[in-house]
Amino acid sequence: MKLLIVDDSSIMQRTIQKNLNDYDLEIVGTASNGSQAIELVKTHKPDVITMDITMPEMDGITCLENIMTIHPTAKVMMITALSDKLTGLQALEKGARGFIYKPVNSENLTRALDKLLKRNVNGRQ
Amino acid sequence: MDVNKEEFESTCRLFIDSVNNYFSVLTEHDSEINVPFLKDITQLELKQYTGMIGVSGNKKGYVYFSADQELFEELISIFIGIEDPDKDDLMDMAGEISNVIAGNIRANLGSNFIISVPLVFEGRPDDLEFPENTFVYVIPMAWKNHHAYVIVGLQ
Repeated sequence: MKLLIVDDSSIMQRTIQKNLNDYDLEIVGTASNGSQAIELVKTHKPDVITMDITMPEMDGITCLENIMTIHPTAKVMMITALSDKLTGLQALEKGARGFIYKPVNSENLTRALDKLLKRNVNGRQ
Repeated sequence: MDVNKEEFESTCRLFIDSVNNYFSVLTEHDSEINVPFLKDITQLELKQYTGMIGVSGNKKGYVYFSADQELFEELISIFIGIEDPDKDDLMDMAGEISNVIAGNIRANLGSNFIISVPLVFEGRPDDLEFPENTFVYVIPMAWKNHHAYVIVGLQ
């Protein structure tokens, strides 16, 4: 499966990558804003996307709406510091398949990815 | 202008909880918070690198997280295993931690606590951004042997 990581923090992009060793995911790109992400989605049609919300140029919610029109089967998981319930609900209404709050550690990232990919905890997708 | 004691305490509590949550979730060492205090803007001290978040919506103002290089280096080492991060990494880390600390406040204040993307700088600029007639709260903290400030000025 192809994965796109969208976050304006390079440290956060690499933190997510570091936790993917157990998954059969090919990272097809990283983007630091929503506009870059949309171009990468058009080019690579990733199966899975991790999406920050607070980003320059285009925020993650707007980017999510765009992605759902150009690649609606993408499984998008929001990873954001915006920890209010309304933002989470908005993202899910707009097509996100998962939502986790920063700060994100290995355990909660893995749990969220397992749920997104419907992976058995003891197995591989 | 008199400070409202209840507002001072409740605002500080929100940010103290946010800072404590950040370090307890991501590291094996809890942060320690010292007694918050009010400070005149002209006398504010900053550490080596500072992430600044603009706030709009039902509150207006700025939130800063300021720490020396060693704190950011150690966090980067924990997160991605790099022992000798470059300056871009240090500034990225300062921006990300300020983003998370400010963003997590929305769990209590809701989605009308709107935050900007982080602006990061090295050293202390001549003019720090704060709304006029606003008290500036400084929350000193330590994580392991590193000291940092969370600075909050909100209307």
